[in-house]
Amino acid sequence: MNNVGYCSPFVPPEWIAAFGWSPRWLRPRAAGARDLATTHRGLCPFAGALVEQVIASEDLHAVVLTTACDPMRYGAAVLQARTDWPTFLFNLPSTWQSNAAGRLYCDELRRLGRFLVDLGGRSPSPDETRATFARYDAARGSVRDAWPVQSSRQYAEMVAAVRGEGRAHPRPSTVENATDGVPLALLGGPLVEEDLAILDALPQLGGRIVLDASEGGQRTLAAALPAEWPGDDPVEALRRAYFDAIPDVFRRPNDRLFEWLRPRLAARGARGILLRRHVFCDLWHAEIERIRQATGLPLIDLDMLHADAGAPAQAIGRIEAFLEMLRGGRWLVARG
Amino acid sequence: MTELPCKLTLDQWDRRYDALVAGGLREPSYGGPLGRHVDDGNLRLCKLQMDDSPAALRLWNFLLSEEDRLADARRRGARLVGVLKDLGTVPVMAYSLDRVVAFYPDGAWWIPCVMEQSDGLLAIADRLGVDESFCPVRAMLGAFESQAHFPIPDLLIASVGATCDDLSAIAQRLEGMGHPIFWWEIPHRRPPEAGEDAVHLPGGCVAPAAQVAFVRDELERVRQCLARFAGQELTDARLAEGIGRANRVRRLLGQLRQMAYSAPAAPLPALEMLIAEMLAIHFCSDQNECMAVLGELVEEARRRERAGVGAVAPEAVRVFWLNPVADLRAMNVLEDAGGRVCGTEYLFSHALDPIDEDVPPTEALARSALADLMVGSPIDRAERVCRDMRAFGAEALVISRIPGASHCSLEGAIIGEVVRQRLGVPVVEVEVPPLTDAMEPTLRTRLEALVETVRDGRTP
Repeated sequence: MNNVGYCSPFVPPEWIAAFGWSPRWLRPRAAGARDLATTHRGLCPFAGALVEQVIASEDLHAVVLTTACDPMRYGAAVLQARTDWPTFLFNLPSTWQSNAAGRLYCDELRRLGRFLVDLGGRSPSPDETRATFARYDAARGSVRDAWPVQSSRQYAEMVAAVRGEGRAHPRPSTVENATDGVPLALLGGPLVEEDLAILDALPQLGGRIVLDASEGGQRTLAAALPAEWPGDDPVEALRRAYFDAIPDVFRRPNDRLFEWLRPRLAARGARGILLRRHVFCDLWHAEIERIRQATGLPLIDLDMLHADAGAPAQAIGRIEAFLEMLRGGRWLVARG
Repeated sequence: MTELPCKLTLDQWDRRYDALVAGGLREPSYGGPLGRHVDDGNLRLCKLQMDDSPAALRLWNFLLSEEDRLADARRRGARLVGVLKDLGTVPVMAYSLDRVVAFYPDGAWWIPCVMEQSDGLLAIADRLGVDESFCPVRAMLGAFESQAHFPIPDLLIASVGATCDDLSAIAQRLEGMGHPIFWWEIPHRRPPEAGEDAVHLPGGCVAPAAQVAFVRDELERVRQCLARFAGQELTDARLAEGIGRANRVRRLLGQLRQMAYSAPAAPLPALEMLIAEMLAIHFCSDQNECMAVLGELVEEARRRERAGVGAVAPEAVRVFWLNPVADLRAMNVLEDAGGRVCGTEYLFSHALDPIDEDVPPTEALARSALADLMVGSPIDRAERVCRDMRAFGAEALVISRIPGASHCSLEGAIIGEVVRQRLGVPVVEVEVPPLTDAMEPTLRTRLEALVETVRDGRTP
């Protein structure tokens, strides 16, 4: 039981691994959650399901959560108040334009390192750190632009493996008919297990994902680590690759999210956006109108709550209608 | 013979106003009968019961004339700063400058209540895609869009980081709508690690010295931003004077709270106390007048305390109230149900605790900002609640949920558990929307049940 769970793309798994722990990217099941995910009105069901998964887990040793959103901050408090789970709450700055914000990120990485040592980990030597960083960097590089892939599920699992053990498997592969279906971008917050089943249904509905910009997808993969670490400091290298590079909705201002999104949507030829957000997720919810305006693309807001038995079928029905609309649009354009 | 305090409806107040004027009442420039505010659309006044003192009259008039005051300040050449979220720190800095007036546009969250939704602000927010799954602070978005309420500030400064998602998300939308924002970071307050330098904060929390230093640097950025904006250096001496003035307000509120929450018979009702406490965060846009209003309330409370009379029956159940209510009427409902407020945590206790005056000003302001109970763990907040409940002799806790607020989904469960374990008192969680009319029977029933539970448990 050497696993340290985490679910924020701003937490570098190579940093956890360098201290002798196995990072594990958490993607909870939402439908099985009974307490927090369903009974607390106003609580993001992802945060609720995640806290429940951690409490029920038998193969985690500790968990790292971040302050990127309120539900996670309060979820950490639930773990601290109700359990003796080793929980590290990472102070993740929302602002990024000041040096102070970057320094805070670095200080938090160092504090995380002390936490991991206190848990029973080991302080890595510089050589061990370099070797670990290189492994994760290479794995990320192999999946960063690995597209098209066999399926959205395959890509999500591949990236989760990279974020876990630092290996890209199964290897990315191009498949026949990968250009069939209406090209869509997947955007939004973290996925739960049940979301993958909905993505599995896309080809039958006549759609395909060409850009995974969800919380666990391409958008939040760290940039390549610098060959020379600033000041020979691994933490500064992580700052460059993570804090300075990853665009996200919670950042203030969050313009970089749009700067990242626009050219990739165009390059991949996305004709619509599936926005996956969890009910009560204010951060994504508030941005929907801006995303529509900034991208000029049709968007479907998938705020499904998997605790509701009918949610998956309803979501599939909505996506099917969305795709019909997009196909109709193409027909009209072609005729015009 | 001392006249017994009582609560009046709006009609009763206007008749009393005529009598007071006939008796020689002297008022500030914004004075007048309360009924005139209904003509401005403040319809909720018709459903409220208000304290009958001239001090309360002045308080209400001060509150309800703020938009006029802001417009007047702009006409007179003052520059307006809109401050978002930090609730009590940046306004202290802004009011240290000349010809700068700071206010919280977040305060628009009360407009749908006060105007009984005739303002249409929530409908505008709906149209902008910010629906009822957000807290009522979304009314601010509508107010910026309609520009029909407060004047649009010349500068917006928002704290983000360990703040509620609703405000952060809505502030980002504001920026997207063309209102540039100066963002500064308030980190989540964490406990110091073993061997780490620690700083005791106002209000009793402790933070790592490194976090205080970080916030101090952030406030230095804010200081430079304000100085550029005002075209005026914001020196330590100016800041120290500004802190001194803010502390005078906080001390007045401290006296008022002490009397209102600990006297055997509450000298002032919960509703007026809620509004008085709210003045602490940005002085209702006029710091000097704010002190005068509070001074008069303190005098009234002292007079009543000495006379042994109260605005609420002495046997009322002593309730600690957590979170501000979106509908002011809820405070009337509590007293109608047999309760009285004995202690509060309306999200801004850090704006009530005096700011340190024995350290450099930005250090003091950083300590005050980090003392915000909302930037730390809800367990810290629960401990503060327990301490204040003991101090004021509170017999029960009401956790008032703000509909849609991101912090309300879990904090109530955590704080309720801690308070039950530590104090063994009953706890009830209620949700108060901007207009409670449809659910008032439910709210009343829950509060009555709480009151009965406490009364049953009292030793004869």
